[in-house]
Amino acid sequence: MVKARKNGPGLRPASWLSFLLLLALALLTVFPLYWMFVLATHTRETIFTAPPPFMFGTALERNYEGLLATLPFWRNVWNSVYVASLATITTLFFCSLAGFGFALYEFRGRNVLFGFLIASLTFPQLLNIIPYYLIIDFLGWLDTPRALWFPGMASAFGIFLMRQYIASTISRDLVDAARMDGATEFRIYWSVALPLVRPALATLALLTFIGQWNNFLGPLVILRSRETYTLPLALRSLQGLINTDWGVVILGTALAVVPLLILFFFASRQVIEGLTAGAVKG
Amino acid sequence: MLKPARVILATLLLALGAAFAQTNISIALYPDLDSHLNAVLEQFHAENPDIIVEVRILEHGDHHTALVTNLATGSGAADVVAIDVGFIARFVADGGLVDLNSEPYNAGQYQDIFAEYAWLQASTTDGRLVAMPTDLGPGVMYYRRDRFEQVDANVEDVIADWDSFLEFGRAVTRDTDGDGQIDVYLIADAGDVARAMFRANIAPGDGVFFGADGTPLVTNERFVEAFRVAKAIRDDGLDARIGAWSNEWYEAFKRGTVAVQLSGAWLLGHLQNWMAPETAGLWGASNLPNGIYGSWGGSFYGIPEQSANKDAAWRLIEFLTTNPDIQLAAFDRIGAFPAVTSTYGAPLFDEELAFLDGQQARLLFSEVANNIEGRATHPGDNVAEEIVNSALSQVLDEGRDIEEALAEAQQLIARRTR
Amino acid sequence: MTTSTREANAKAEAVTAVKPDRKFRWYRWQRRFAPYIFVSPFFILFAVFGLFPTLFSIYLSFQAWNPVQGLGSMEWVGIENYQFLLTDPWFWKSLRNTIWLALASGIPQHLLAIPLAFVLVSVVHRSLRHPLTAAYFLPYITSTVAVAIVFNTIFGTQFGVLNWAINGLAEWPLTSWMFSGIRDQMPINWLGRAPYIKPAIAILVSWKYFGFNVVLYSAGLATIPRDYYEAAMMDGATALQRFRHITLPLLRPMMFFAITLTIIGNLQLFDEPFILTNRTGGPSESGLTLAMYLYRTGFEWLDMGTAAAMSWVLFLVIGTSTILHFFISGRRGLERRE
Repeated sequence: MVKARKNGPGLRPASWLSFLLLLALALLTVFPLYWMFVLATHTRETIFTAPPPFMFGTALERNYEGLLATLPFWRNVWNSVYVASLATITTLFFCSLAGFGFALYEFRGRNVLFGFLIASLTFPQLLNIIPYYLIIDFLGWLDTPRALWFPGMASAFGIFLMRQYIASTISRDLVDAARMDGATEFRIYWSVALPLVRPALATLALLTFIGQWNNFLGPLVILRSRETYTLPLALRSLQGLINTDWGVVILGTALAVVPLLILFFFASRQVIEGLTAGAVKG
Repeated sequence: MLKPARVILATLLLALGAAFAQTNISIALYPDLDSHLNAVLEQFHAENPDIIVEVRILEHGDHHTALVTNLATGSGAADVVAIDVGFIARFVADGGLVDLNSEPYNAGQYQDIFAEYAWLQASTTDGRLVAMPTDLGPGVMYYRRDRFEQVDANVEDVIADWDSFLEFGRAVTRDTDGDGQIDVYLIADAGDVARAMFRANIAPGDGVFFGADGTPLVTNERFVEAFRVAKAIRDDGLDARIGAWSNEWYEAFKRGTVAVQLSGAWLLGHLQNWMAPETAGLWGASNLPNGIYGSWGGSFYGIPEQSANKDAAWRLIEFLTTNPDIQLAAFDRIGAFPAVTSTYGAPLFDEELAFLDGQQARLLFSEVANNIEGRATHPGDNVAEEIVNSALSQVLDEGRDIEEALAEAQQLIARRTR
Repeated sequence: MTTSTREANAKAEAVTAVKPDRKFRWYRWQRRFAPYIFVSPFFILFAVFGLFPTLFSIYLSFQAWNPVQGLGSMEWVGIENYQFLLTDPWFWKSLRNTIWLALASGIPQHLLAIPLAFVLVSVVHRSLRHPLTAAYFLPYITSTVAVAIVFNTIFGTQFGVLNWAINGLAEWPLTSWMFSGIRDQMPINWLGRAPYIKPAIAILVSWKYFGFNVVLYSAGLATIPRDYYEAAMMDGATALQRFRHITLPLLRPMMFFAITLTIIGNLQLFDEPFILTNRTGGPSESGLTLAMYLYRTGFEWLDMGTAAAMSWVLFLVIGTSTILHFFISGRRGLERRE
């Protein structure tokens, strides 16, 4: 008789070895991030020595002062927070609204429009970079945060995600029952559907926030002055200086990564499970 | 009204009036120009109390990219913009900057006090001046005295021509401590020699990369010879193959791994301030080998057409560029070699520089500055430079045939600048 | 419509028939048009920021235009931009670089992710599954610029950790046999020499995205019914045989999906090479990707017409690769999905 195992196909004796290998790989994967934090506490002199320093140094305060002296750093942090938050809030609203519309209504042209939406997903983002710049320039929005979060408010990917989730979670009967009570469509969306799709909203929120926080090419093309720079741009401007104070630069990178790390620490399950669900359903 | 009230009211009105009379201008710079500006800003404000200056800094590459797009879109540029010599030609051609020869600036009145070639660099063929020169980069060779002594070499002999330079290279490149690895090299990058060579001995009327008629000329003898010498250096293993401004490069200066470095005079400031201060006294400066005179770097200040405060902007530029004291202050503080040649007689120039073992190197710099010949600029200059550098890299690193690489570069440049 | 819905609608109409006229009309109106209003933001935004600019860029690709001189300075040049690209050595070089990088960073990602996911799902104890997956996923959420800067130091020639580690491994008796050839190349100048810059970029990209694929494949693996495995085990199949004959075929749909994403993403690589080569494209342009060349042409050289043409050529490349991929492995992949 084959013993029923809890986990899938089952590989018995090798499991401890596998676990060790996986652990080693995990440590190797995380190493560059650990390295980032170590180097952030060193100065250029100690960073560029052989063998390199693996333990934390003492230059944290000095690097921090250098960072503030070279960049309007907290302003840049605020810019990143502002753009990412606004992008997330607007994306959540518009994508869930459109996903609601696609999922629970039968209207003329629905399939065509949805097909169009899917087709737009296949367009590589790079194709749009020159036109994006030109239209932003035309609108006079160059060097403004608005140019970063406004165009992507209703993202095709977000709508797709929401639509899939809503379609599989909310039944038409529920909607009809609400209609019978005299609710307007928007009211149904807001009070009935939204609360029920919180997990998908959370996933979309996280993915959008992370994506906007790390966005580099968009800001590179649109933003021109240090005061409006988001974090990735601010960090890159540090890289270009010939007298690069590497301790300062790395501290900047570490500080730029910390918020997302914290976010991920609390929400990793949500992100991964949301992605998983999306991948399977999609 | 009661008397005190009248006084207060009058003061308020005066203050308001003063506020209205004040002009706010902005200046966009890249490092290290800002350290100098911040130091002299007080004096400027004392002489021009109605002008308030806001300083904007961006890193060198970002600064020029932003400037290019600001001029392209017609908005966002500061009132005064610093422009590096590598980009000046482009702005000469593309436009977007005010012609400073026109009324009411009449920059032409100052023409004689500036180094001629720098003035020409910022001038168009139809007589417009798009920016004022502020500093130059006279090309010199910095060398390690101790490395020369160790092989009994005399600097004057070494720089007589390229052959003696290479001969010296072969002598000095060696393993000094017996560990099987070469510890001293002639130079950090053979490419530097090529770049020095093709920027010199330019036929009158031609530019570095383009002829008087605007066609690229990178396949001519000047380039072939430059590439050939560099290749000889590389093939003999005389260069350390270290990229400029990398950490290994800084280390090389600290340890004396390279015997010479061809560069603009401004390198001295970097060396003594942060790159290798502990090597003070071990260096010397000389002319470039083979009697060539070249320029490495230089900055200009211009006023974008879109500026709403051109007059105030011009006052700032005049202050920074035509005032000999301010020019000398920049020289002293950030090593920016003055574009105003009349300053070259100042006592500052006779100073014995400790870093160079007491050499009165500034006299050398001014001699070089006076001997650099003006040459035509072309808007495609920095694109051409990128392409030629790429070709050079292919020849040195991948052993590509020189004529072939230059022919391809010629083609690329012609296309790119159509 | 189903009967229950019909009844519900009838009920609703009955109820609403009692309402006052204006309110009723509004109610009917919003019921009818709500879906259109709800989905419209996407299409409006897409029209303004997506469709119109894209059409304009098609038009632009037939012009020669330097924006400094204003909109009016556009000059019609027909297909000259495209011709220029097809004979431009740098264009072909960047295309080669991009394809090389796409393969060199894409293949290891998936080769590593599939067995990894398999072990994660089937071997490792449940409670450890999430922490490990989260660890592998971590690179994905970091800012490319931030990590590329850190990798700049890791790839340092004399003081970089990577070279230090390779040196160490070359000395260590257990692994020195693997590294015997490396000795003469040390210290490797990852970022300064043409042959090494591309592997350096590939390493960074693989590191960043393999965790994402692990998540996707874990999801895919979880959908394979256990009975298949149990049946195979009863027939005496070894773990390797189970992997080859059950896991791999059933994982095809997910592989198709994940590889498509990788293709589309890798062909547009910009951030990583841009930062690692400090915007220069590397020694003799060996780290220059199509995306970087596009950026340089449009925003550093202000040759907007050619840049627009290049983006369309890039679109063609991505489209062709995706279609090729579809033909090679897609049909089966799509079928299974349904």
